[in-house]
Amino acid sequence: MQIYLPIAEMSLNALLLLGLGGMVGFLSGMFGVGGGFLMTPLLIFIGVPPAVAVGTEANQVVAASVSGALAHWRRGNVDVRMGVVLLIGGFIGSTLGVWLFTFLRSIGQIDFVIAVSYVLFLGIIGVLMVVESTRSWFRARNPSAPRRKLHKHTWLHGLPFKMRFRRSQLYISALLPLGVGVFVGILAAIMGVGGGFVMVPAMIYLLGMPTSVVVGTSLFQIVFVTANVTFLQAVNNQTVDIVLALLLVVGSVVGAQIGARVGEKLRGEEVRVALGLIVLAVCARVAWTLVATPDDVFSLGRIAGHG
Amino acid sequence: MIARILALFVSLSVLAGGAQAQRLAVDLSSSEVAISTGFSGAELLLFGATEGYGDIVVTVIGPHRDEVVRRKERLAGIWVNGASVTFKAAPAYYRIAASKPLREIASAEILDQLEIGVSGIELFTQSGRPASEIVEFRDALIRNKKSQRLYSEDVSDIKIVRDLLFRSTIPFPANVPTGDYEVTVYLFKNGKPVSQQTTSLPVRKVGLEARLYSFAHEQAPWYGVIAIVIALVAGWLAGVIFRRA
Repeated sequence: MQIYLPIAEMSLNALLLLGLGGMVGFLSGMFGVGGGFLMTPLLIFIGVPPAVAVGTEANQVVAASVSGALAHWRRGNVDVRMGVVLLIGGFIGSTLGVWLFTFLRSIGQIDFVIAVSYVLFLGIIGVLMVVESTRSWFRARNPSAPRRKLHKHTWLHGLPFKMRFRRSQLYISALLPLGVGVFVGILAAIMGVGGGFVMVPAMIYLLGMPTSVVVGTSLFQIVFVTANVTFLQAVNNQTVDIVLALLLVVGSVVGAQIGARVGEKLRGEEVRVALGLIVLAVCARVAWTLVATPDDVFSLGRIAGHG
Repeated sequence: MIARILALFVSLSVLAGGAQAQRLAVDLSSSEVAISTGFSGAELLLFGATEGYGDIVVTVIGPHRDEVVRRKERLAGIWVNGASVTFKAAPAYYRIAASKPLREIASAEILDQLEIGVSGIELFTQSGRPASEIVEFRDALIRNKKSQRLYSEDVSDIKIVRDLLFRSTIPFPANVPTGDYEVTVYLFKNGKPVSQQTTSLPVRKVGLEARLYSFAHEQAPWYGVIAIVIALVAGWLAGVIFRRA
């Protein structure tokens, strides 16, 4: 069943898009991740223009994160003060990111920058995931092995503008969460992701937040930042395809529910290794598009602002 | 459709008793190409009549707009977009069909004059690159357009029945650019164009697709807000439904 996407200006199979949403939703429900970092490259693989894939995916992440964010909010798992500081950073970062995106698009380098960002981040995150879960898997079998220190005192704790974050039981410089927010905001704009895969580790290891509020606070930030990205991409680049986003949303919410139920039954390191391997596989596939000799070294583009 | 065929017969009967020898009547199976939700490409039928023998050439030229051709270069093992050339007012779509190979119909000069044939498409650039390179970029533009099925040449497509009736199909792929198209039919006799007729053919988005597209471009901030609201409601609704289940 072909459906014409008005902004992408192409015709794709609606069932394929629903299935894609379902599959990524399943994985994101099972592993408790956003899924944007898998969806955007997959959309590009099936021929959606990278700029449209990124803009639309930001819109889809809004839908994917909102019910989780609400659930955590109700349970009191959101550090609002921390969330607001992260959010201010996120607004600055995503506004900067969309501006950069528009500029890169005008000089014909946006596809390249998107691909490189994906290779870089998926590569780092995938390797870290596999290494970390293998290590903790070994630790579980061999409890006498030395543990890493949980909290290290570094120069980061000497930064000015200290703020008290009661919910997280932290007294740290506001510059830290602000910086994390800016960085994640830029990623959200350029890669069309929520950025949870960067923000969650940063909150745990860099800010030292308790894990109980990490997911809720990051979802809180993601909803607003991806909404900002959606708005700015729509205004500056007209690359948000509502029809495409809706199909993906329908597929992914259903997939996420099934995935969450399956995930409850198989927790543990093996699952994290599996996710790490999926991430690395997508990374390798994107990397291949960069190094493989193209069929035609010439390509057509339109002047920015004309779609 | 029936009305159109009737009209054709009327014009045919006029032709039969006509004073001019080089009459040409042409019509299309549809007066526009409408892109709606289920659009996955379209094929239009062009049909017409001539009096007496001759060769038919049909050109379909899409809206003119600037096209950038970029060349990838290898940098430290990675392919990156490097040099680019912008061609001004290049046709977004170009189709040529003929009743026999173009060379057999008319001389190259005549064909070039009429801009018939993919090699005859006028492509201007203000790029300061050497001419030899421009040729490469020009060829790349045509090659890429052909692989996107937006430029096509088909010499065997036109069937002429009894030196009188002819028909030709015009394929439009799903990625067809919107705008005003011009369909021109040429009648050649003894290597000379004796008659031509041009019909305009709009290709446009209709219905929901058209509204969404113009909404996204003309009222971008509101489009953005609505995209966000839809996502928020859809996400929230999904959460509510599945919590109940």
